[in-house]
Amino acid sequence: MKRLLMSSALLLVGGIAQAAEITILREVDSNNYDPHKTTSRAASEVLFMMGDTLVSLAPDMQTIDTGVAESWSVSEDGTTYTFNLRQDVQFCDGKPMTAADVVYSINRWVDPETKSPVAWRAGEVDSVTALDDYTVEYKLTAPFSELLYQLTQSFGTIIDQANVEALGDDFGVTGFNGTGPFCWESWAPRDQMVITRHDEYAWGAGFHANTGPASMDRITWQIVPEENTRTVGVITGQTQVTQYVPYIALEQLKASPGVEVVQSDLAFWTYYMGFKIDKETVSDPAVRRAINLAVDQAAMSEDLFFGVVQPAYSYVSQEALDWNAGLDDKLLKFDPAQANAILDEAGWEMGDDGVRGKDGVRLAPTAYVFAGSTWGKISEAVQAYLREIGVDMQIQAFDATVAWGKLATQEFDMYGMSFPYVSSGDALNLYFRSQNAPSPNRMNWIDDKTDALLLAGATSVTDEGRAEAYGEVLEMVHDAAVWLPLYHEPMVIAQSTDLETVVPHNIYGAGLYKGLDLKYKE
Amino acid sequence: MIDQILRRLLISIPVLFGVLFLGFGLLVLVPGDPAIVMAGPTATPEIVAAIRTEMGLDDPVLVQFGTYLGRVLQGDLGRSLISNKTVISELGAAIGPTAELMFACLIWSVPLGIGLGTLAAVSRGSIIDRAIMAISVAGVSLPIFFICLMMIQYLGVQWRLLPFIGRGGPLWTLEGIRHIALPALSLGAIFIGPVARMTRSSVLEVLKLDHVRTARAKGLSETRVILRHGLRNALIPVVTLIGLQVGYLLGGAVVTESIFSFPGIGRLAVGAILSSDFPLAQGTILVLALGFILINMIVDILYSLLDPRVQT
Repeated sequence: MKRLLMSSALLLVGGIAQAAEITILREVDSNNYDPHKTTSRAASEVLFMMGDTLVSLAPDMQTIDTGVAESWSVSEDGTTYTFNLRQDVQFCDGKPMTAADVVYSINRWVDPETKSPVAWRAGEVDSVTALDDYTVEYKLTAPFSELLYQLTQSFGTIIDQANVEALGDDFGVTGFNGTGPFCWESWAPRDQMVITRHDEYAWGAGFHANTGPASMDRITWQIVPEENTRTVGVITGQTQVTQYVPYIALEQLKASPGVEVVQSDLAFWTYYMGFKIDKETVSDPAVRRAINLAVDQAAMSEDLFFGVVQPAYSYVSQEALDWNAGLDDKLLKFDPAQANAILDEAGWEMGDDGVRGKDGVRLAPTAYVFAGSTWGKISEAVQAYLREIGVDMQIQAFDATVAWGKLATQEFDMYGMSFPYVSSGDALNLYFRSQNAPSPNRMNWIDDKTDALLLAGATSVTDEGRAEAYGEVLEMVHDAAVWLPLYHEPMVIAQSTDLETVVPHNIYGAGLYKGLDLKYKE
Repeated sequence: MIDQILRRLLISIPVLFGVLFLGFGLLVLVPGDPAIVMAGPTATPEIVAAIRTEMGLDDPVLVQFGTYLGRVLQGDLGRSLISNKTVISELGAAIGPTAELMFACLIWSVPLGIGLGTLAAVSRGSIIDRAIMAISVAGVSLPIFFICLMMIQYLGVQWRLLPFIGRGGPLWTLEGIRHIALPALSLGAIFIGPVARMTRSSVLEVLKLDHVRTARAKGLSETRVILRHGLRNALIPVVTLIGLQVGYLLGGAVVTESIFSFPGIGRLAVGAILSSDFPLAQGTILVLALGFILINMIVDILYSLLDPRVQT
C-alpha cells in the first residue's frame, strides 16, 4: 500500500512537471535544412543542434575538439586523416551511427551531382572509406591544412543515408534524422521550426558545460521579421533568447528587468567594401589607400552601431587563426589629411565640383550594396567620408534576391559584403583565389603569387608553414588595399534571466551552437 | 438562386483570368531572378543560365504565362523555390490561420460597428453620436500598422495582457484565442469605423420612412421599432459594405500578419514576394483573388436574401 501511494505520488509529480521549453526568435528562415544544399546561417543554426560533425570547434574559435570522432591522426604528408569514431552515437531514430554513415555523408557532400555550393570546403577528396565500423580514412589528393576547421561547419553534418533516400527531394524539408542534441519535429517554412530533445545524446564536446542530453525538452525557432517585435518579445518574456536584436535597442534591453545581454569578445563576421581593382576609378592603389584612410570606422561603430561592433582595419579579425600580427602596426586608419595628400601626389586633381579626376577619369566609383537599413547607413556614411577627399561614390542598392546576380557581373567599381569565417585561411581561400573570380573574388584579384601562397598554406603540414603562407597573403592584399574593412560583428545574444547565461559562439554566426548550454536556472 | 450563383461563377472566370495575368505580369516586371534564387549566392553565371533555360524563363512572357495557366488548370501550382514544398501544401497551411483571423476580427467588430452606428443614429447630434463618429473617423484614418504597434505597445508590452508573437494554436484552444486576440483587435479596429458610419446613415434614412412612422403610431416600443423595423431594413447597404470591406481586410491582414508573425496567407505572400519565390507568390495572389471573389459572391447572395427585389 505504501509503495502504491509512493508510486502514485511520483506519477502525479511526473505528470504535472512542466516540460522545459524555449522559444528562440530570429529574422529569417532557411530555404531548406539539407546541410549540403544550403549556405544560409539560418540553416546552420538548426543543423548544429540537430546534427553532429566529425570534430567541433571551441568558443575560442581556435581549438578543435571531439565530435562524433573521439580521436584522429594525420599522416606525415598531411593527405590522410584517420578518424576513430565514438561507439555510442545514435541517430534520433535510435539507429547506431557507424563509419558507413560518415563515409556516405562526406561522399554526398563532394559528389558533383549534389551540387553543393560549399563542396570545396571538404578539400580535394581522393577517397573516404570505412576501415571498420568505427574507423574512417579520409584521403586527400593534396594536404588541406584547414580541413579540421572546415569539418566543424554544419556542411560536414553526419546524415543518415536511409533517411536521405526515403525523403528524396524532401530531405531537410519534411524531415531530418541526425545525431545532434535535438531532433526534427516539424517545420513550417517562414514561420517556425520545432525540435525536441534527443534523450540519448551524451557525446557533446568537452568544452560544453553539459555534454548531454540537452536540458531543454523542446525548442521553437520562431521567425519574426519585424525587429521591434523581436525586441519587445524578449522584454515581455514571450521569447527567451534571440541574437537578432537591433543595436539601438541593446541599452533598453540591458536596462530591462528579466533580460540579460551577453556578448562574445570575438567577432568573426566581417563587413567590408571591396574594390574591383581593374576598373579605372579604383585601379590606382593610391586611390584605394586614400579611401581606406578617409573612412573613420571607429566613429561609424559608435554612431551607427552604438559601439557594439568592432571597428575593422584588418580583413579578418585580428583574433583569427593565422592572422599576421606583423600587420597590426601597418593597418590603415582614419587620416583624411594623409588621404588627400596621397591623392594629390598621385595626380588626382580636385575639380570645380569638389570631385577629383585624372586623365579624364572622374573619381566617382559605382558601389553595389544590398538594400536594407544596415547597408543603407553604412554606404551613406562611407559616401559622406569619401566626399571629404573628393571621391563621389555612387550607391546602387539591390534587394538580396537581385544583388547576388548583380555582384557576379563586372558592372561595378566597389561593392559591399559581409561574411563569416573560422580562420584567416578560410576567408583568404574563398575571396582571393584567382579561379574564384568574378565571384566570390569580386575584386578580380588575379595573382599567381597569391595562388601559390594560398596553395602552400592550404597544403602545409605544419601550423607554422600555414601561418607563414597565409600571413604573406594577408600582407600582400592589405598592402594593395583591395578592400575597405568596416567592422567586425561580435555575437550578441539577448536572453531571459530565467536561463543560465549562455556562452555565445561565433561559428558561422550560429550563436547558440549545439544548444547544450540552454538551461533554466534551478 | 442557383441560376444566380452559376451566373456569378461564370462572371468570376474572366475576373480570375485577369488577376492571374496581372499577377504574373507584375512578378515578371519586379526585379529578381528565380534562377538566382534557385542557384544560390555562389552559383556561376553558367549555372544560373542553365537553370533559366530549364525553368523556361528565356521564353517570351506570353508563352511562360500560357504554360503557367495550363498547369494551374490542372491543379498544379508548382513548388516553392525556397522550401521545395508544393505551393498547394504551403497555401493549405496558411489558409486556416487567415480564415481564423478573419472570423475573430468580424465576430466582434461587425456587431460592435452596427451597434455603435445604431446608437449614434438614435442619439443623433448628442455627445454620444459625436464620440462614436470621432472613433469611427479615427478607425478609418489610422493606418493599420500604427494600430498594430499601439496594440503591441499597450496591451502587449506595457500591460502585458496578451501575447503578440505567432499563433498559439487553433482558434478553439485557449492559447489560440490569446494569440489571435491582438491581431483580431487591430484588424477589427479599422473595420468598426466604416460599418458604424454606414449603419448610422442607413438607420437615419430608414427611421424617416412611413412604415417606421406607422410602427410608432401602432404604439410599439422605441427599441422594437428601431431593431425590428429600422435596423433590419437599414442592414442592406451595411451588408454590401461589409462584403467590400472584408475584401480590403485581406489587404490589412498582410500587414497585421507580418507584424504579429501570424502564419497566414498575407504573411506568406509578403515572404514569397520579398524572396522572389514566384510560384508561391503567384499562388498567394490566386488565393487572395479567389477569396475576394468568393466574399463578393456571398454578399450578393445575402443581399438577395435580405432584399427579395434583387432577384428579379
